[in-house]
Amino acid sequence: MSDASPVTPSKARLLERVPGLIGALSASPFALLMLFGFVAPLLCVVWFGFMPSKTFSLLQTPTLENYATIFNQTYFKSILWSLGLAAVTVVILLVICFPLAFAMAKIFKGAASFITYAIATSLFVSENIRLFGWVIGFMKRGVVGGTLETWFGLQTDSLLYNIPVIILGMVYVYLPFMLFPLVLGVKMVPDQVREAAFDLGASRWQVFKKIDLPLSMPGVMIGSLLVFVLSVGAISEAKILGGQKVVTIASDIESEFTYAQNWPLGSALSTMFIALTTVVVFFALSRFDLEKLLGKKPAE
Amino acid sequence: MLALRTAPANSAAYGLHLPVCFYRLMDPSATPILEVANVTKRFGKFTAVNDVSFAIADGEFFTLVGPSGSGKTTLLRMLVGMEKPTTGELRLRGKIVNDLAPNKRPTCMVFQSLALFPHMSVGKNVEFPLSIRGQRESERRTRAWELLKLLHLDPNRYYDKNVTQCSGGERQRVALARALAYDPDILFFDEPLSALDARLRKTLQKELKDIQRSTKKTFCYVTHSLEEAMVMSDRVAILRSGMIEQIGLPDEIYASPKNAFVAEFMGEVNLLDITATGGTSAEWDTGRKPLALTLPAPLDVGTKRKLLIRPESLRFIAPGDTAGNTVPVRILNQFSLGSRIQYHVEVVPGCTLTVERLREERSTATADALLGWDLADSQILES
Repeated sequence: MSDASPVTPSKARLLERVPGLIGALSASPFALLMLFGFVAPLLCVVWFGFMPSKTFSLLQTPTLENYATIFNQTYFKSILWSLGLAAVTVVILLVICFPLAFAMAKIFKGAASFITYAIATSLFVSENIRLFGWVIGFMKRGVVGGTLETWFGLQTDSLLYNIPVIILGMVYVYLPFMLFPLVLGVKMVPDQVREAAFDLGASRWQVFKKIDLPLSMPGVMIGSLLVFVLSVGAISEAKILGGQKVVTIASDIESEFTYAQNWPLGSALSTMFIALTTVVVFFALSRFDLEKLLGKKPAE
Repeated sequence: MLALRTAPANSAAYGLHLPVCFYRLMDPSATPILEVANVTKRFGKFTAVNDVSFAIADGEFFTLVGPSGSGKTTLLRMLVGMEKPTTGELRLRGKIVNDLAPNKRPTCMVFQSLALFPHMSVGKNVEFPLSIRGQRESERRTRAWELLKLLHLDPNRYYDKNVTQCSGGERQRVALARALAYDPDILFFDEPLSALDARLRKTLQKELKDIQRSTKKTFCYVTHSLEEAMVMSDRVAILRSGMIEQIGLPDEIYASPKNAFVAEFMGEVNLLDITATGGTSAEWDTGRKPLALTLPAPLDVGTKRKLLIRPESLRFIAPGDTAGNTVPVRILNQFSLGSRIQYHVEVVPGCTLTVERLREERSTATADALLGWDLADSQILES
């Protein structure tokens, strides 16, 4: 290097600023996309919730009549159904997926990647099509009913349109979203730490309770939140498998925007539901401090 | 539960060097706490441990030494119950424990990675085995404080500290305290000190030995460093590709290594390839031209052996001085090792020897010198 020009203070300052500038420039396309594709529409929805019922303009006097309608009618039922179904789905998925995740992370070798591909491949097919597959399975004289009738002479009615089948559909659809974070979570538990606990006299159950579960908590939390947030807004399972047995809040919102042509009420319902989900999620996050679970923060 | 004596600050018993006869008392035939009888471990077609037998005496500091891949970790994992022997027997106080799970064995291991519980404080880590046993919280706490004090960790500062915030040396101590809290009959160590810097390692080696002496526990240590083994152990076993090469007191192994492998393992030694030419004369194959040497003992003509000469046995020959063997050399390099000076000398190009002299006996020679050794200071070894 023959060029030995001294670095002047102004040059040094520019050099310090350059990475920041490049960073800001690279981030700007995404920032703009989020601004116009996410933040602006969201604000529109929130604002629309304050417009008079059954109108289609944002330029009117704000009113709280939509919120009054929500509280005076039985929308709380659909909200409770959505929250309840989501909570049950999360719990069932945790119970089903933890052993599988453990096996995939620690025991299976080649089989683990096979299972990963198999489950990921199922995501290539649209959710609705997969749910209609279950309909064929459970309808009167469907795959299940027909088999029972032919082989065992059991007469069954349609197994569809009830709550267990809705939960089955939700568990089935959201399984990958629980399983994969859990696999990563379980992988974070060092083998030697488990062995050490075992060596220090802990039984299998104690090792699970005191070592595996706390140390894989980040995966458990991420999986649970993902499944909860996705399934609380679920619409197809209840519609396709549940018929009109259960109306979730998402289908309420859909019908306000479509059949009822009441955009302000739909917007108000959306706003309220987003607020509610946010509160639930932040509550959960505050209860389980991810940083602390990962051992980066000192235990005060 | 065995009560631990805390280390007295100034005790004559501490500095006391036990005479060799004391170690003789620890002969495994007296009271073996652990017996390993013809243990073999195979993984598929690979034999990691091949028909190994030895015994560890109660209260002994026993060390298994071997290079990586010698099967020492596999052997250790069988001793603590994390692997099962393919054939052979492990007897703990006379009882066969081959199939006993680690959590049912009165033994405990300090892992190479230490395997501390990252989501627990120092105190909770130490208390873990006690809480598993269902001991009351106040008792657990008292015990944890005792152990932290024993290991020179101020409980006031460390009890509530997160283990992830502790330094390497502190983590070592926590791991040892946790293992001692389990109150095992035998404590196993899988080279826990290997990740530390040399100085801290030396301090902890001595502390480990002190703790072993004050707790009267049986320690079984695994390491790849014979030097480390020599510092701490009552007895040492050297492993090579799944088999025990030599077992004995550190002094015995140092004084009479069984073969070139053991000798080489002890650190920087000179091993000369020799071919006997009748009587005590031999030829040293230096790679270029053979050099005539005199051996300490006669060998059959044509026998190929290695001649071991320690760096400190080599000396520069002043005019008028004599030695059993002398070779002209050229000094390539000299390194200061504190109280000693190490020389790298060249006999013929490509064939070098290592010489170590005390600083006072520093060579006056410049480049060319005459190097020699007494016959009694060389040993004939099989390779």
